[in-house]
Amino acid sequence: MSDSPIVNEFNQGPISCHAFNGDRTELAICFNTNVVTIFRKSGASWTQTSTLVEHDKPVTSIDWAPKSNRIVTCSQDRNAYVWTLDGASHQWKPTLVLLRINRAATFVRWSPEEDKFAVASGSRCISVCYFEEDNDWWVGKHIKKPIRSTVLSIDWHPNNVLLAAGCADMKARVFSAFIKGIDKKPAPSPWGEKLPFNTLCGEFSNGAGGWIHGVAFSPSGESLVFTGHDSTITVVSPGTGDIQSIRAPYLPYLSVIWLNENQIVAAGHDCAPHLFERKGQQWAFSASLDAAVKKADVGFTARDTFRRMDSRAQSTTSTDTEVHTHHQNTINSIRSFSGTPEHVEQFSTSAIDGKLILWNADSISRGLGNLHL
Amino acid sequence: MAFRKIDIDALEEDAFGEDEIDFQEIGELRPVADVDAQVNSRAQEVRSLLQRGNTSGALSTSLQNPPYGAPFHAAKARNTQTVMEVLNSIKVSDVPQLVKSLSPEEQDVLMKYLYAGMAAPEQNNSGHLLAWHEKLTEVAGQGCIVRVITDRRTV
Repeated sequence: MSDSPIVNEFNQGPISCHAFNGDRTELAICFNTNVVTIFRKSGASWTQTSTLVEHDKPVTSIDWAPKSNRIVTCSQDRNAYVWTLDGASHQWKPTLVLLRINRAATFVRWSPEEDKFAVASGSRCISVCYFEEDNDWWVGKHIKKPIRSTVLSIDWHPNNVLLAAGCADMKARVFSAFIKGIDKKPAPSPWGEKLPFNTLCGEFSNGAGGWIHGVAFSPSGESLVFTGHDSTITVVSPGTGDIQSIRAPYLPYLSVIWLNENQIVAAGHDCAPHLFERKGQQWAFSASLDAAVKKADVGFTARDTFRRMDSRAQSTTSTDTEVHTHHQNTINSIRSFSGTPEHVEQFSTSAIDGKLILWNADSISRGLGNLHL
Repeated sequence: MAFRKIDIDALEEDAFGEDEIDFQEIGELRPVADVDAQVNSRAQEVRSLLQRGNTSGALSTSLQNPPYGAPFHAAKARNTQTVMEVLNSIKVSDVPQLVKSLSPEEQDVLMKYLYAGMAAPEQNNSGHLLAWHEKLTEVAGQGCIVRVITDRRTV
């Protein structure tokens, strides 16, 4: 595996969300339509194998359960479907989920045990869904209080019970999504000891306000990071009572993951993944992982000059408006690709420019000379 | 919210209102008289610092603990005036050094006042404020501008 990022260009429109299967040989992508496209890896490229057509509004989020090989999708049409692969026909079969929401579904994630998933929505609630054997049906229980606006992102704690939610009411919250009969009583953690369903275990604000776009639990579950529309990332550790807000000088981050307990990668409107690191007890911005490469200025021929004048109404060779990163537009999703949660080796980003890029996290740590193991 | 002519939340009983945001972000509101007194005493302090030629001290002092919240119209205007006095008394060539010496919090507050100042071009020298804006953006980045746009705690 080379150290430089691997760019996959699909040229089918902006990517709204993506998910890989367990062994990373298959990929589900939504190109901002009501259809989810499944690709299979063939050599260095991806070949389209099937499409999931059931939603009738744009799909907002996809998650692929690695062990049980089930896909869950949710959409602006207020529905979620669980897709299972029919062994005989090799077709993906949808099952409707009873979400009971009256606004768009915005985000979906399987729990670590894959026996539940949570759907965030614009109807100020999170639907925690589980399979009811008696009715042969996925049903949802609502987490409502004290959410005051659209829930934009969610992340599961490794203990399969706690759920973090980033919300448009400028708060990040941690809830218990304990379902009786499915979950065993979780071990006490810094987030709380008694955890009946809908217990609010923490409510955090980044101070300046702004929608909370992305949330993520650290690999151990001891800390939580969230990114806001005020270009900050905030790391919260209830065990030590530590709350740190880092003001970035860049555009806001939409999505965030932990590479390990000491490194966080956030990406968003700045079109490049940015690394944040903990040194001692202090979190700080470390580097952009996309070295800005200035393209060689080749536009000095008369023909190029005229073409530029024609297409952009610009007469100079000014490159002020050019974006010097691999992604040419807002990154809206960043996900772990390989390695373990405690030590992510590669991660993937998808963006509005229609590209999906694989980044090597190991080379990042080595390149910066501070590999944390 | 000038672009929005229809109040789409009018029929929503449980609407998420502006007042709620203010309350959450600012906490308990102080009495108007207290805030006015604080702003006035700060104006005095800043003026005496300026007279002694301590521009960086004056700038930093004027940006501390700005009045936030709906009831403080008078205090906000007074404090904006204080900050503008400081900004106008500083030469453009000194700006980069002063901006660098501010804390990230102070940089964000300064950006708020730059926009507040440019909103009243008849009172303030917009050209001078634009020079400040350019130097501040070089140091604090676009993130600083985004935070001013996002923050409901306006000055």
